[in-house]
Amino acid sequence: MPAVELLNISKSYGTTPAVRDISLAVEAGELFGLIGPDGAGKTTLFRILTTLLLADAGTATVAGHDVVRDFRAIRNVVGYMPGKFSLYPDLTVQENLEFFAAVFRTTVAENYELVKDIYEQLAPFKNRRSGALSGGMKQKLALCCALIHKPQVLLLDEPTTGVDAVSRQEFWHMLGTLKARGITIVVSTPYMDEAALCERVALLQEGQVLRIDTPAALRAAYPWPLYAVRAARMHPLLQDLRAYPAAHSCYAFGEAAHLSLRQPAPDAAARLTAYLTGHGHTGVVVEPVEATIEDTFMDLLAQRQPSPNSAHDQPAQ
Amino acid sequence: MRTVWFLLEKEVRQLRRNRSLLGLLLVAPIMQLVLLSFAANYEIKNLNLAVVDQDHSPAARRLLNQFQYTPYFRLVQTRPTSRAAEQDLLDGRADLVLVIPPQFERDLVRGGRARVQLLVNALDNVKAGLASSYASSIVQAYQGEGRPATVAATVSEVRGLEVVPAYWYNPLLNYKTFMVPGILVEIISLIVMMVATLNIVREKEIGTIEQLNVTPIRKWQFILGKLLPFWVAGLYQFTIGLLLARFLFHVPMVGSVPLLYGIMAVFLAVPLGLGLLISSVSQTQQQALFVSFFFLIIFILLCGLFTPTEYMPAWARAIDRLNPLLYIIDIARRILLKGSTLRDVLTPVLTLLGMAVVVNTLAVWRYRKTSG
Repeated sequence: MPAVELLNISKSYGTTPAVRDISLAVEAGELFGLIGPDGAGKTTLFRILTTLLLADAGTATVAGHDVVRDFRAIRNVVGYMPGKFSLYPDLTVQENLEFFAAVFRTTVAENYELVKDIYEQLAPFKNRRSGALSGGMKQKLALCCALIHKPQVLLLDEPTTGVDAVSRQEFWHMLGTLKARGITIVVSTPYMDEAALCERVALLQEGQVLRIDTPAALRAAYPWPLYAVRAARMHPLLQDLRAYPAAHSCYAFGEAAHLSLRQPAPDAAARLTAYLTGHGHTGVVVEPVEATIEDTFMDLLAQRQPSPNSAHDQPAQ
Repeated sequence: MRTVWFLLEKEVRQLRRNRSLLGLLLVAPIMQLVLLSFAANYEIKNLNLAVVDQDHSPAARRLLNQFQYTPYFRLVQTRPTSRAAEQDLLDGRADLVLVIPPQFERDLVRGGRARVQLLVNALDNVKAGLASSYASSIVQAYQGEGRPATVAATVSEVRGLEVVPAYWYNPLLNYKTFMVPGILVEIISLIVMMVATLNIVREKEIGTIEQLNVTPIRKWQFILGKLLPFWVAGLYQFTIGLLLARFLFHVPMVGSVPLLYGIMAVFLAVPLGLGLLISSVSQTQQQALFVSFFFLIIFILLCGLFTPTEYMPAWARAIDRLNPLLYIIDIARRILLKGSTLRDVLTPVLTLLGMAVVVNTLAVWRYRKTSG
C-alpha cells in the first residue's frame, strides 16, 4: 500500500485552477519530491494531504487514511511543515518543541532519539524566542516540531526556500537520515538541483504532472545532444546560440549556456566553436554534458501545448 | 483536558510576553473605571450665569444672592440690557441668562407675582435641562420665603398636592452609586471582547493556525484554551473594580457579592464567546476589530447607562433584548443597591446563560480546521 496516494485530484480557487487531475503514489519509506516553479500547485497538494483543504474532485489517502473520511487519523500520523514559518515566534525554541509534543500527547523525551541530531544544533539557542532565529535555524526547529510525535509521513512544503546554501545542504542530509529510519517523506522545492537528492520526483507545472520518475531516469530521458558553452560575454553568446541553425534550444545555466542540438554530429563541438569565434566571441569553451533535471524540465515544458493560463502565474495558496 | 491545559499554558506564556496586551488587560480597566466614574457626571456645577438686573431693588438682589449661594451657578457677567446678555449666550460666555425686569419688587409686593426671564443655551440639552431646573427650583424657593410677611397674609394660599419624592435604593441620587457598577461591567466587556476578537485571527495572520490545525487538538479544546485566560482576566478586573467601587466610590453593597461574582462568571462568557466567534470567521485582525466595534458600540450605547432604555422606540427595545450588557448592568445594580437575590434576577441570569451557550457553541462550530 502506498504511503501517500492521490487519485485524479483537482482543486480550483474561484475560476483559477490550482491543480488539475493529479494522480501520484508515494511508496512507504520513499523520499519523494514535488518539483515545480511557484504556482505549480505544490502547496495546494500539501494542504489537501494535510486535511487543511478539501479537493473539488478526486480522492487522496495518507498512511492508508482517506483525507476526507479519516481526517482525524491523518492529523495524528503526519508531520507537516508549512511553507511559511508557522511556529510561535513569541515562544522559545524549547517551548515550541514542548508545546507541539504536548498537543500530540507525547513528550520531547519520548521521541528525543528522532530529533536528537537536529535539536543538538539548536540547543545553544533553546531559550531564544523562535522569532529571533535565523532562517536556517527556524527551518530546523520547524522540522523538529513536525517530527516530535514520530509521524509516519513527513510532508515538507518548500523547507529550503529562503535558506542559505550550507543550511540547505544540512537540511537535505537530515532528510536522508530520517528516510533511513523508515519515515516516508514528501518534500517540495522549486530548486531543480534538490530534485536530484530525491528518490523519485514529480515534475509539476500549472497544476499538472509533467512526469514522475527517478532523477536518473529523468536525466536519461533527455533526447537531445547537449553542450555546455562558455564565452567571455554571456548575453550576446545566448543570442548567437539561439540563432545557430542546428540549435534546438538554449538556456542560461549558471555560468554556462546549455545548448541542445537537433541532430547528433561527431564534429558538432568543433563546428560550434568555429561559428562562435566567427561571431567575434573570445574564450569560447564547448563541451558535451549530461542533461540535468532542469534540462529535462525545460524540455518537457517546451513540448507542452501552451495552455491558456500560461501567460500568468497562478497564486500558490 | 490535558490538551486544554497545555493550550492554556501556551496562551498564558504568550500573554506574559506581550507587555502592551498585558497592560491593557490588567491596568487599563482600573484607570478607565477611576477616570470615567469621576468624569461621567450627571451633576453639573459652576454653570456660567449672566444677569440683567433692570430693577436694582433689594428683592432683586436677594434673588441674585440665592443663585450665588449654590454651587451650581457662577455669576460671570452683569449686563444692563438683555441684548448684551444675549451676546454672552451667543459667544458662549454664559450658559444661562437671568433677566430681572423693572418693577420686579413692586409687582412682587403688589400682586404677589412677578416674572423673571431665563434664557438657557440649549446646545447641550442635558446641560440646558439641568440648568433650567436648578434655576426654577431656586426661583421657586425664593418665592416661598422671599415674600414679605404682610403681603403673604393678603394672598390666599393656594395649596394643592405636594409631591415629596423619596429615592429608594439611592436616597441621595448619588450618580456614582448609579454609574460605577455599570461603567465597570461595560469596561470589562469591552476589553475582554477586544482581546478575544484579536486572538484567533492573529494566529491566522502569523500562520501558526496552519500548523495547529494539523494536530489532534479538538475544536472545543482550542476554543476553551482561548477563552479561559481572558475569562480569568475578566474576573480579576471585576475583583479590582468591586474593591474600587467599595472603597473609593463608596458604592453600597447591599446584596450578595459572591452571587454577583457567579453571575459575572456566566456573563463574561458572552463577550468572550462573541469575540472568539468573530475572530474565527475573520481573515485579518482589522476585519475582526471592525466587526467587534460594530457590536460593542451598539451594546454600550443601548445598555441603559447613558440613555434610559424605556425612552427607546419599541423596535429598538426589541433589538436591545439581545444586548448582554443591558442584563448584567441591571443585575449588578439590583444586587448591589437593592439587595436582590438569585430568585429576583433569575430571568436575566438565565438569559445571559442562554446567550453564553449559543455564542460559544457557534464559535466552536464556526472555527474551521479545514477550508473548502
